[in-house]
Amino acid sequence: MNLRVWRFAVSMLIAGLVPLSAAAAPAADEDAAIAESLAQMLRAARTVISDSQARIDDANVGDKGLGGRVVLDLAIQKYKATTSVDPMSIDPKSRQGTLLQTLMDAIVEVMDENQSQINAMGTGFKGFIPAVFARLVDEAFARRAKGEAEIKVTAPANLVRNRKARADAWEAEVMSTKLLQADWPRGQPFSAMVQEGRPAFRIMVPEYYAESCLSCHGTPKGEMDKTGYPKEGGKEGDLGAVISITLYH
Amino acid sequence: MTQLTIRTRLIMLSSALLLVLAATTGYLTHTLADEAAATAKAADLLAVADQASNARIAFGELRYWNTDLAVSQLTLSEQKAAAARERTEGALDRLAGHKPERIAQVRSELADYAQFAGKAVDSYTSDQRVIGNSLLAQARQHSLVLDELLGSIVSDLTADATAARDRVVSEAATATRIAYAIFLAAVLAGALLTFLVLRSISVPLRALVAAMNGLIAGQVAVEIPPAGPDEIGAMARILALFRDTLYELRETLARLKAAQANLVHAEKMASLGQLTAGIAHEIKNPLNFVNNFADLSVELLDEVKVATAPAVAALGGEERAEVDETIGMLTTNLEKIAEHGRRADSIVKSMLLHSRGGSGERQSAHINVLVADALNLAYHGARAQNQDFNMTPDCDFGDGIAPIDVVPQEITRVFLNLFGNGFYAANKRRGQTTDPAYRPVLKVSTRDLGGEVEIKVRDNGTGIAPEFRDKLFTPFFTTKPTGEGTGLGLSISYDIVVQQHGGTITVDSRVNEFTEFTVRLPRAAVAGGPARSDNV
Repeated sequence: MNLRVWRFAVSMLIAGLVPLSAAAAPAADEDAAIAESLAQMLRAARTVISDSQARIDDANVGDKGLGGRVVLDLAIQKYKATTSVDPMSIDPKSRQGTLLQTLMDAIVEVMDENQSQINAMGTGFKGFIPAVFARLVDEAFARRAKGEAEIKVTAPANLVRNRKARADAWEAEVMSTKLLQADWPRGQPFSAMVQEGRPAFRIMVPEYYAESCLSCHGTPKGEMDKTGYPKEGGKEGDLGAVISITLYH
Repeated sequence: MTQLTIRTRLIMLSSALLLVLAATTGYLTHTLADEAAATAKAADLLAVADQASNARIAFGELRYWNTDLAVSQLTLSEQKAAAARERTEGALDRLAGHKPERIAQVRSELADYAQFAGKAVDSYTSDQRVIGNSLLAQARQHSLVLDELLGSIVSDLTADATAARDRVVSEAATATRIAYAIFLAAVLAGALLTFLVLRSISVPLRALVAAMNGLIAGQVAVEIPPAGPDEIGAMARILALFRDTLYELRETLARLKAAQANLVHAEKMASLGQLTAGIAHEIKNPLNFVNNFADLSVELLDEVKVATAPAVAALGGEERAEVDETIGMLTTNLEKIAEHGRRADSIVKSMLLHSRGGSGERQSAHINVLVADALNLAYHGARAQNQDFNMTPDCDFGDGIAPIDVVPQEITRVFLNLFGNGFYAANKRRGQTTDPAYRPVLKVSTRDLGGEVEIKVRDNGTGIAPEFRDKLFTPFFTTKPTGEGTGLGLSISYDIVVQQHGGTITVDSRVNEFTEFTVRLPRAAVAGGPARSDNV
């Protein structure tokens, strides 16, 4: 996603231009900030994987040098470059700092747990792609957050490849009535306070196809991509995914 | 078949052939329809079996994609599984009409399988792998039952389809054999019918052509095939009519030629008659002088003998003998002159009679009476002239011949001539023959021909040589020794019969066998003939 769009969206949320529940307005600012940092960290790490895809898929190289700590350091660099904020400077005892650290731990866990797969020789494409990495990180984050927060990369139903990424009812409704509408401001997230058995801040951050995405999700539609999945026929700028973050209160 | 017209025959032949063709086509159409229905049924069964097989395949895909989904969690697999289930359900829908109970059983098993498989996938998605394994195992049990059910249905339907196909093949083979037999029978029947029809046409046609060729070659006696009711029969009737007409034309032509010859002959006779009459008239007067003066000279010589008797007696013996001899010779000569003069007079009278041209009147007379009288007169006349003459007349007079208009005296002369000639010829042959058994016979017969009366005079005498037959009726032609015939008898008879009565006289003869004259007299008077008198 375009960084300026993201910043604009978060700023809009902070400035209260995006409608949130009035009762939850004070907490919403904090939730939005937390969501921004989580989303940025996830994206940074995912970008590291994307940048390392060729190395990961090299069948002739064993150790790819992509251990958990390495990937996290690269992600932090990217996070800093993107947000001008050092995540390590955030108060680790704060809610944001706790959740961000949880996410970083999840990144390290996922990379460390998949070293044997990533470093396997003789196999080119291993299926360890940014989307899979992100889903595994989300799952690890959910385990580690212990019900305090969840991150999921979902998409409109026709674009979801893994059923674990399927949108729930609220997400589907937001995509259908907001994000996929022609007059929805490009890149603008949608957030709301909802009741998920308990109050929760939910935010849907749209992501649009960049050129690098189209090798798997572009045209011709139906042609198999390198994962063996038929391409969706997307074009650059189309809504391709939504980062859905839930912060439970 | 010959009782039918050719058109009817051809129509019947065509109808028969068309009927055979229609029957064959009908049978084949019916058979093909049955075969098509049976084939369609077999194909339907095969299609049903195919549907069952498709259901089995689709269910296999459903199992595969559900398993794949459990492992990969890919929505693509989920979509594939959903599509496979839809195909399975669709195939089951199409099978429901054939095996409803078993299909219901399959549906039940499919629902159970789908329920357990779906829960298993959800468990895997929720990372509840153990529960997922358990659910998937239960789903597997239902899938095995379901697959076995579908397998049995496929087998049963395939067996049914195979049996139906075998029946179709068997029935097609039977139909093919029957069709061949019908075709062969139709060809044979058609060939036989065609042969019979063509034969019924060609045979009489060939006979007709032969008859035509015969007619063209002039054979009027050619046999013409019997005339049937068909077109060839009509041709035969027309040809027969043509033949009869041709025959009549030829007869007419022959008669015309004969008439022409008769006319030429008659004209010749008339010319000769006129010439004869002129000559006779010119000879008559000087002949009278000769005869009269001969008679007178005889008388005068008798007177001279009486007057000179004393003087002659006074002469010496030698002189007296010479005078007597001279007077005797003169007397003899004068008698000869008188005799031959009378004969010449007779000839002249006959010539004049010949040229007189029928001076008598026609009278109604019974021809049998005239013939009998003439025969009696001639016979006794011949007997009077020759004591050795002996002949047996053989009369065969027709009964009930009505009176006929003739000049009796003239006709009697004709018969006298013919009878006289017959007596002469028969008597001559009697004198010449060495056959002791020969008996002269003169046969006379009469016959009523309706418009004519025919009289035949046949003798068994010496006959007439062929070279003389054309001259028989020529005046002065005779085969008799000089002094025995004038050569005018037949000429006068011809004149009387042909010129005066408008009849005919013909002759047929074979040397030393017979001679037969045939006279035909028309019952009614002809134009130019003598006037009729009824005072008989």
